[in-house]
Amino acid sequence: MTSWYQRKRTRELALVACFLAPALAIFFLYRLLPLGWNVLLSFEAWSPLKPAVFIGWDNYEEMFFDDAVFWQALWNTLLIIASAPIGIMIALGLALLVNSDIKGRDTYRTMIFLSYPLMTVAVAIIWRWMFDERVGLINYVARMLDLVDKPIPFLNSFTWALPSVIAANIWQMLGFYMIIILTGLQNIPGNLYEAAEIDGAKPVHRFFRITLPLLKPSIFLCFVIGMLNSVTSFDLVYVMTGGGPGRATEILVTYIYKLGFSQTRFDYAAAVTVVFFLLLLTVTWTANRLSGGDAGAVERG
Amino acid sequence: MKRYPHWPIHLALIAVSFVMLVPFYWVLKTSVSGENIFSYPPNIIPRDPNPFYYVDVWYAIPFARFFLNSIVVSAMTVVANVVLNAMAGYSLTHQFFGKNLVMMLFLSCMMIPFQATIIPAYLITGKLGLLDSYLGLALPMFSTIICIFVFKASFDAVPRSLIDAAKIDGLSEWKIIWKVMMPLAKSAMATNVILSFIWSWNNFMWPLIATRSSDMQTLPLGLARFMSYQEDSTGALYAFCIMVLAPSILLFLLAQKEFVQGLTSGATKG
Repeated sequence: MTSWYQRKRTRELALVACFLAPALAIFFLYRLLPLGWNVLLSFEAWSPLKPAVFIGWDNYEEMFFDDAVFWQALWNTLLIIASAPIGIMIALGLALLVNSDIKGRDTYRTMIFLSYPLMTVAVAIIWRWMFDERVGLINYVARMLDLVDKPIPFLNSFTWALPSVIAANIWQMLGFYMIIILTGLQNIPGNLYEAAEIDGAKPVHRFFRITLPLLKPSIFLCFVIGMLNSVTSFDLVYVMTGGGPGRATEILVTYIYKLGFSQTRFDYAAAVTVVFFLLLLTVTWTANRLSGGDAGAVERG
Repeated sequence: MKRYPHWPIHLALIAVSFVMLVPFYWVLKTSVSGENIFSYPPNIIPRDPNPFYYVDVWYAIPFARFFLNSIVVSAMTVVANVVLNAMAGYSLTHQFFGKNLVMMLFLSCMMIPFQATIIPAYLITGKLGLLDSYLGLALPMFSTIICIFVFKASFDAVPRSLIDAAKIDGLSEWKIIWKVMMPLAKSAMATNVILSFIWSWNNFMWPLIATRSSDMQTLPLGLARFMSYQEDSTGALYAFCIMVLAPSILLFLLAQKEFVQGLTSGATKG
């Protein structure tokens, strides 16, 4: 009897192993192995044509002390991270509005969410044109309303280029934030509000004492996913500005791409990638701690 | 609960929806009329709409080829995703030695964005000899961790008694998977299909790196390249935009429920 049970157990384990293997292989090949290789490569001088030489911290020294572009790209990346709360706040407002019992709220939801699943390259082309100096819709409206006397060359100006890219990014992410916050809102038990109402709490108090604290995990989840999404929005920057004018919209991802695939400096690009990855890890970890450890809480499933 | 007037809410939501939809309308309008690329001030209603620019795109670039490439890569990604994620999700419902380790591994892999691995990913794909091939384009996206957890959740929801009943009836493990588990995981499957299709269809950075010949380019690449040599001077660019956006908009409107469910359950509960 035991042997029958054992054989069955072995068969079950074999099945589990076979079922897990392909997915694990993919993640090993395209997540873990690259991560390790990246770190290794960042300490080497290597190009596809010459053999690797261990050079210690040289790449990092160059990056930190001799590379103004790196600092510019890092700064822009930080600005994009810092802009995520703007979109989240707008989305919070929208989610509250859409969560009320008005007619046609599903239609509003669909319309606001529609921009999220779109191809970012096309979104970038559309917005590049909306921001255009001569024929862009935004300049046209601004001139019609007498907000500006001469058109602003948004994407060619050092001041406006990054905010314009950020605006396009928020436009695309808004619906996603709204959906996540909406799910959080709907998970708040209704009797909490009823109890508060009986106790005579004003709507403002109900919002700050019930809604906002209970939404904290959703909001931080938005922040983490939104941050990962915007910081890696290579396609948006690449198509809208190509990192220009000058380096005004260069972010770490576009810089890594240029280093690796235009200048074939894989070793140095790997070092920048390591810094980029550590930055993402730090921000995610901080956000996670601030939210009480629930942001991105997939493990609670 | 109806103590507040509804019209301010409608007003605010209409304003926002307007901002969200105007870019679409503008692109659609220009793609059929080609105007206000040159003209100022622009017209609001398209004058003399015609399909000229769509025909133009069809002949100016190998649209059919790009479309085929995109479809092949997306189809491979979707099939691989459903199969691999269902298998991994199913195995995670079992107890086995090292399960926690595997879960940890998946969760930490989620924290590694693909963009942070492109240099070695390129080198690895090169070593495998898969650069500039369909398999090489699709392989890094063959499995998605969020979707593994969506499958796991839906398999976990299958009542234990149902499986026991099937076992008593003498069904083998395989039969149970095919006849009991999979039909009950239909919505997880739909979610998975939609998410992986849209992600693969929109993917730009990896094809940009992993393709060399113009024969292997997918639609986003074709679109970006078309833009770089057309320089905003033609309605054809916007017709092209509409042509690549239409499939994902259509799919999204058809399967909005599954899409949203996948995003929220994958992101919040798993």
